[in-house]
Amino acid sequence: MPRALTYQRPDSVDAAITLLTGDGHRPLAGGTVLNADDDPTLVSMVDLQSCGLETILATDGRLRLGAMATLADLAEDERVPTGLAEAARAELPSTLRSLATVGGTVVAGGPDSVLLAALLVHDSRVQVVGPDGVTTVMLPELQDLGVPVGHLITAVDIDPTGSCIRHATARTPADVPIVSATARTSDDGVRLALTGVANHPVLVDPSDPTSGLTPSDDFRGSASYRLRLAAVLATRALAATGEVA
Amino acid sequence: MEVSFELNGKDCTVECDPHETLLTVLRRQGMVSVRFGSTSGETGASAVLIDGQLASSEVVLAAQAGGHSVTTVESLNVEADLHPIQAAFAATGAMQSGYSVGAMVLGTLALLNRDSDPSEDAIRDMLSGILDRETAYVKPVAAIQQAAAVLRGEEAEPFRPLVVAPMTDGVHAAEHNPDDQPPQGSSAVPRLVPSRDVPSTSVVGKPEVKVDALRLVKGNPAFTDDFEMRGMLYAKVLRSPHAHARIISIDDSAARALPGVHAVIHHANVPRVKYASGGQSYPNPKPHDQVSFDDKVRHVGDRVAAVAAETVEIAQEACALIEVAYEVLPAVFDEVEAISGNAPVIHDEDDTIDIADASRNLVHHMTAERGDVEDALASADHCYEQTFRVHQVQQCPIEPHISVAWLDSDERLVVRTATQVPFHTRRMLAPLVGRDIKDIRIIKPRIGGGFGAKQEMLIEDIVAHLTIATRRPVRLELTREEEFVSSRTRHPQTMTYRTGVNGDGTLVAQDMKLIGNTGPYGTHGYTVQTVAGLRGLTSYNAPNKRFDCEVAYTNIPVPGAYRGYGAPQALFGLESHMEDIAADLGIDPIEFRRQNWTKTGDEMNIAPHLGEQGVLEEELDEYPTVKSDGIEECVAQGARAIGWHRRDDRSWREPADRPHIRRGIGYSHAMHGTAIPFLDMGGCSIKLNDDGSFNMLVGATDLGTGADTVLGQIAAEVLGVPLDDIRVYSSDTDMTPFDTGAYASSTTYISGTAALRAAEVVRKRLKERAAMLLGIDVPCSIELRDRRAYAPDGRSVSLEEIALDSLHLNEQEQIMGTGSHVSPDCPPPFGATFVEVEVDVETGQVTVGHMVMAVDCGVAINPVTASGQVEGGMLQALGYAHCEEFAMDEEGRMLNAAFGPYWIYRADEMPRTDVFLVQTMEDSGPFGAKAVAEIPKDGVAPAIRSALVNAVGVRIDQLPFTPERVFDALQRG
Repeated sequence: MPRALTYQRPDSVDAAITLLTGDGHRPLAGGTVLNADDDPTLVSMVDLQSCGLETILATDGRLRLGAMATLADLAEDERVPTGLAEAARAELPSTLRSLATVGGTVVAGGPDSVLLAALLVHDSRVQVVGPDGVTTVMLPELQDLGVPVGHLITAVDIDPTGSCIRHATARTPADVPIVSATARTSDDGVRLALTGVANHPVLVDPSDPTSGLTPSDDFRGSASYRLRLAAVLATRALAATGEVA
Repeated sequence: MEVSFELNGKDCTVECDPHETLLTVLRRQGMVSVRFGSTSGETGASAVLIDGQLASSEVVLAAQAGGHSVTTVESLNVEADLHPIQAAFAATGAMQSGYSVGAMVLGTLALLNRDSDPSEDAIRDMLSGILDRETAYVKPVAAIQQAAAVLRGEEAEPFRPLVVAPMTDGVHAAEHNPDDQPPQGSSAVPRLVPSRDVPSTSVVGKPEVKVDALRLVKGNPAFTDDFEMRGMLYAKVLRSPHAHARIISIDDSAARALPGVHAVIHHANVPRVKYASGGQSYPNPKPHDQVSFDDKVRHVGDRVAAVAAETVEIAQEACALIEVAYEVLPAVFDEVEAISGNAPVIHDEDDTIDIADASRNLVHHMTAERGDVEDALASADHCYEQTFRVHQVQQCPIEPHISVAWLDSDERLVVRTATQVPFHTRRMLAPLVGRDIKDIRIIKPRIGGGFGAKQEMLIEDIVAHLTIATRRPVRLELTREEEFVSSRTRHPQTMTYRTGVNGDGTLVAQDMKLIGNTGPYGTHGYTVQTVAGLRGLTSYNAPNKRFDCEVAYTNIPVPGAYRGYGAPQALFGLESHMEDIAADLGIDPIEFRRQNWTKTGDEMNIAPHLGEQGVLEEELDEYPTVKSDGIEECVAQGARAIGWHRRDDRSWREPADRPHIRRGIGYSHAMHGTAIPFLDMGGCSIKLNDDGSFNMLVGATDLGTGADTVLGQIAAEVLGVPLDDIRVYSSDTDMTPFDTGAYASSTTYISGTAALRAAEVVRKRLKERAAMLLGIDVPCSIELRDRRAYAPDGRSVSLEEIALDSLHLNEQEQIMGTGSHVSPDCPPPFGATFVEVEVDVETGQVTVGHMVMAVDCGVAINPVTASGQVEGGMLQALGYAHCEEFAMDEEGRMLNAAFGPYWIYRADEMPRTDVFLVQTMEDSGPFGAKAVAEIPKDGVAPAIRSALVNAVGVRIDQLPFTPERVFDALQRG
């Protein structure tokens, strides 16, 4: 893990933001990624657990997932749409799910994150706080731009209507999918997200799901195979939601 | 910094560094039930409850736990009695090594606090974060269900085998009746199919609780890392970033200058003593092609230097400060290419002798032949040829390799180490550190799994060198990545079978050509391949057989011993080949095998020419024969349990509601071995205590298998006492008799017979002393049972009375006995493996839905531990067949040296796994026992392939059956 030179636990978001302006300061959420990293860089850890960011709150027809809500919280909260809760459960096994957080997943979730895919189809808007105040960023935009240094994700707002369905191909039933397709139908129409085909999970056009995709090869699947899976799984996911690609 | 939290209900304040994990701090507080598995936390061995939630403490900073409630298993150890959850784990045999059982117990506690009657899905979800290579999660699920019932106030059902009536007469095949229902009930309960040939016993054959259950389930100090040494130094190893390179120079000055560093060792300051690291009997097979530190590296992860320092972090920092100049050399990874004559030479040094052809990277070339294979193939009605490629996988013990060395008060070198071979390690270590064997002591505590990876002197020489250099205790624990790249793995192989068959389906010749990949060092490279030949050419009768094997040096991470030892590779090839021949001939796949399989009375005609003791070229006057087999019963039980008839039911194979799914059922036959004849040796000593109990010392190495329990049961049966009266201790080279170690499916058979003999010596003297006390002239008429010695007239004296008399009162003596055993026989266990799969024809994804193995292991001394061996072996075999593989880049770097990318099966995805123990009476084994530990590794891969053929008609000759490989095969048609 990055070697923590210091550890601080601010009791508010403002205090955390102030600390994060310092050199070498890193926000620490659950720790399943940051503490598992074998990078020997010396850092100052800013633990967000006391910033009041763990709440899941229904508001204005949307559901606000506090950045420090754990994946176990999502999996067990009845207000969280079933498909999203299931994605939180599938994302990590029991001993890590209890630690990993929504905010940490948004920041560090890789190209295979089924939870990120579920968040994408639930129209996630990410609340980011920095020295200049609060901004709301659509999740795809945040994935492209990243979280600016000295800023924090404080919540992810989702549209809780409808529920998503995931179809996936993996080496074994609980393995991280090589490719997955997550679809959701709501009043706004259908949304479809794929994992395993880009450097992060992506929303794609349900009518032409593989258009413009250029996945990379890895030992679990070649690029051409991934494209093939994307087409098959997208069709299945859409069919399961009543849509046709 | 100071951190305060609640630990097991009490306030706790600790001093720690900000970077220290909760795992580190808890262990420093004495909570040794919390154990290391990997720095990224996915093994779950380190899991504790934080505010009641199960969480891996390896990825939690101690500081993060400040203000929270932390619970470890030690919280349950408030009384001598076990907590009901602990008791359930013990009663159901839900732990083997027990390395991760603390996490499982805690997870259960949290789960049952939320839900007193959890579903099996909820239980498996809880267990999803605790990886287990031993139990296949079968018995842990049963343990949790039992614990839940007890805590709800229900009475726990005794956990005992389900006795299943035989379906055959033991000789002839049974007709498969689709209407005949298999026994119902939890998979955790072993199905025991009894044999009338087996005499009644009191302790043997009973589901006794493991003798080490209490220490394991309570998380008491038991493993290498659980005992602290004052003044301990911590070691790290600098490893090669190159697959093949010469070390031009090493500058260790900056590392040595780093405060806290006590020693830096490498090729320039450690004597160059040649050895082979495989833990095998004297003399270790040649070539001896290793030294502790070399001026050449031959794989990514190879040793370059090692450091001992005050902390792990300082040692790590020092390693980074060592400046090494490399001349990078071309590398070769494929075994066929390596011996082509056009590959870089991996061993070009002049002090390694006995390489068959170093210029061609050919370590060995061995052949064996019975009859005239070429002639028989030429005259056979049909001749089939098929080539298979099997891949590299790792044993993945959850406890990584760990050793601690120190000098004792007599300045002898002591090494406490996670090893399967303490006595081999002592002998092999002596020349490397320039000490006599008598000045070295190896202590084997509990081991958190080994599976062959620890049948190796892997890191003991490093801690020994560093201890001698510093005169301080030194500890070295491998990281998970090091476990993958620098430990040991299964040998990749390319094998070609040629088989001649007559028109009636009778085999006339079988030829196996094998190219084994032993990586950069020989270690087990010779013996794994000869055993592959032995297993790959013994299952079926053919008068003409030939084995031709070349063993290649390459630059992959080092292969070595892995449970099954060549058999899983060979039997994948052999059984797949037989399956395909049967299909071509239009014969039922089971019937074709039955027509040819080796059974009771048949000669094992090439066995003495192959095997671990080497290749024998001259013909023998007599060949060993099979003395016992239960294979027909295994097939009958397995076929019924899987529903074999469904493979011909198109409506089942092609479910109408899931058009992209095809189902199939597969079968494979397995014949393994029991120990290495004339080579494996075990010793045992037993002494009587004042209260009529016994101390039993064995050199045998229980690495979680239950060996201590089984050997204790054997002694208890002979001595007429309950198992609880036998205190078993294993193994310590100063204290216990010699044993070759835990490998080759030998412990129950070899060490068990040693225990039997030692107990017989003690029994004889007990009878003599009882006769004195009872005034009887014929001691042999006395019987021992129920802790007493009974005369024929019914009078009796207790063993305690005999002990007090012999130790304190009359003609005083210590009643004790020793026994040892080496066997000329190698009785084969047999197995029938059945697997049900689903194949997604649009994606190639294979899902295994059900596995059944029926095993003839003779008499299972303990049916619970025996069935646990089968379950765990099948989990590993499933991974081998389905998802586990080393992914390497073109430079020889492993791309997936972590759990996750390297996927091993979790609790929430394991298919149902049913085990049948089919009794036979093997007269050469203790109480009729044969081996059980390795045969479960043999059948799963070929059975899955067979099921794929049944489901979709594709024949894939390469492992594992990953989605893209299957998809490609489907595309090819």
